[in-house]
Amino acid sequence: MGDPIFDATGLSKAFGHIDALREVTLSLSGPSIIGLLGRNAAGKTTLLRHIVGLQLPTAGTARTFGVPTRILGHEQLAKIGVVTQTPVFLGWMTIEQQLRYLSAFYPRWDVDREAHLLELLELDGTSQIKALSTGSVQKLAIVASLCHRPTLLLLDEPVSNLDPIVRDRFLKFLLEVVQEDAATIVISSHVLHDVESVVDWVVCLNDGRVVENAALDDLKERYTEWRVAARTRDLPAHFEEACVAHETSVNRRTATLVVRAAEADVSAFRQRYDADVEVAPLNLQGLFPALVHGRRH
Amino acid sequence: MLITIDVHSGVPAYRQLVDQIRLLVASGRIRPGDELPSTRALSTELGLNPMTISRAWALLEEEGLLDRRPGLPLVVRARPRAVGDAARHTQFSKALRPVASMARQLGINGKDAGDALRRLIDDDER
Repeated sequence: MGDPIFDATGLSKAFGHIDALREVTLSLSGPSIIGLLGRNAAGKTTLLRHIVGLQLPTAGTARTFGVPTRILGHEQLAKIGVVTQTPVFLGWMTIEQQLRYLSAFYPRWDVDREAHLLELLELDGTSQIKALSTGSVQKLAIVASLCHRPTLLLLDEPVSNLDPIVRDRFLKFLLEVVQEDAATIVISSHVLHDVESVVDWVVCLNDGRVVENAALDDLKERYTEWRVAARTRDLPAHFEEACVAHETSVNRRTATLVVRAAEADVSAFRQRYDADVEVAPLNLQGLFPALVHGRRH
Repeated sequence: MLITIDVHSGVPAYRQLVDQIRLLVASGRIRPGDELPSTRALSTELGLNPMTISRAWALLEEEGLLDRRPGLPLVVRARPRAVGDAARHTQFSKALRPVASMARQLGINGKDAGDALRRLIDDDER
């Protein structure tokens, strides 16, 4: 991996009394597809806005392509593509007119990719923008963000309004982009199933803090699920073992736990509670509560 | 090549890929000198993140199963027999783990479980 595409040190952002980001220290490198995860109001959108310099830190530093985001210039911005949650276009234009207008700003605009994406996303270039559905506006935002072949692509909930067929096509297209353009793609989404299909890296925010920053496959190896069934005695109301990162559900006879695999001793646990324990792998959906709310050391 | 990856199964995708390639080599379905698909081709075919595929290839190369030569396709190296056996057994034990857990819960002992497995294997061969 080369120089970081984005790096932040002690980055904090306050809006009045609300701390949106708290001392975020983070370095993102590519090529990679990075899932930016977190609950509502965790700071995902605020972090994305800091990467392009749409917002500036209250404290700490943020640099994109090695340049402080306060002074990002044309050279850096031309390499960035963004899909926001509320894209804005000129309603009186057709899709085709809007794309011609945008392409004038970018010498590297790729008309072949544009045509390919319009077809893939089932957009009709002659449609007038003010008549488009929310989903179609989102599609147009995707086309507009990708045709200048950015090497840094920021996608804020890009698939929320797309139907499952188009969503799948778009996610597969990202796999091509990351290879063709050696791009770094940051995708924020609540739809963990979609994120899991394409990302190789996960950054997890909770309450403005980075609580996880790791390869997705490493997280899947780090955590495992224990399905516990009591044999003779009732189970305790809570498990105090250090290896238990999260209690998914606990009642007297059964429990489902997220466990840190490296610290876990399943046979000791079986004996202590006189219980059967089935060990199972965890997908992103299963991991997520432990990542955002897990007990930490 | 017959590879299926379930990215939602919870088993790391690179691990699924490594296990399946090991098994294909161990069972002789891909042979020394055979070329493996490029990262790009496989990414398109499986819908799998290319970084994940690179990670699997790097691990298999480290194990001495694959040969990576700049600018040329990946090829399977001549296989030492022992590695193939070990890989087959590891793979098989892993698949049996949930079965063992179920046997314990149902109170089926090792001998009965073994007999049941033997019957299933024999049935399949008949």
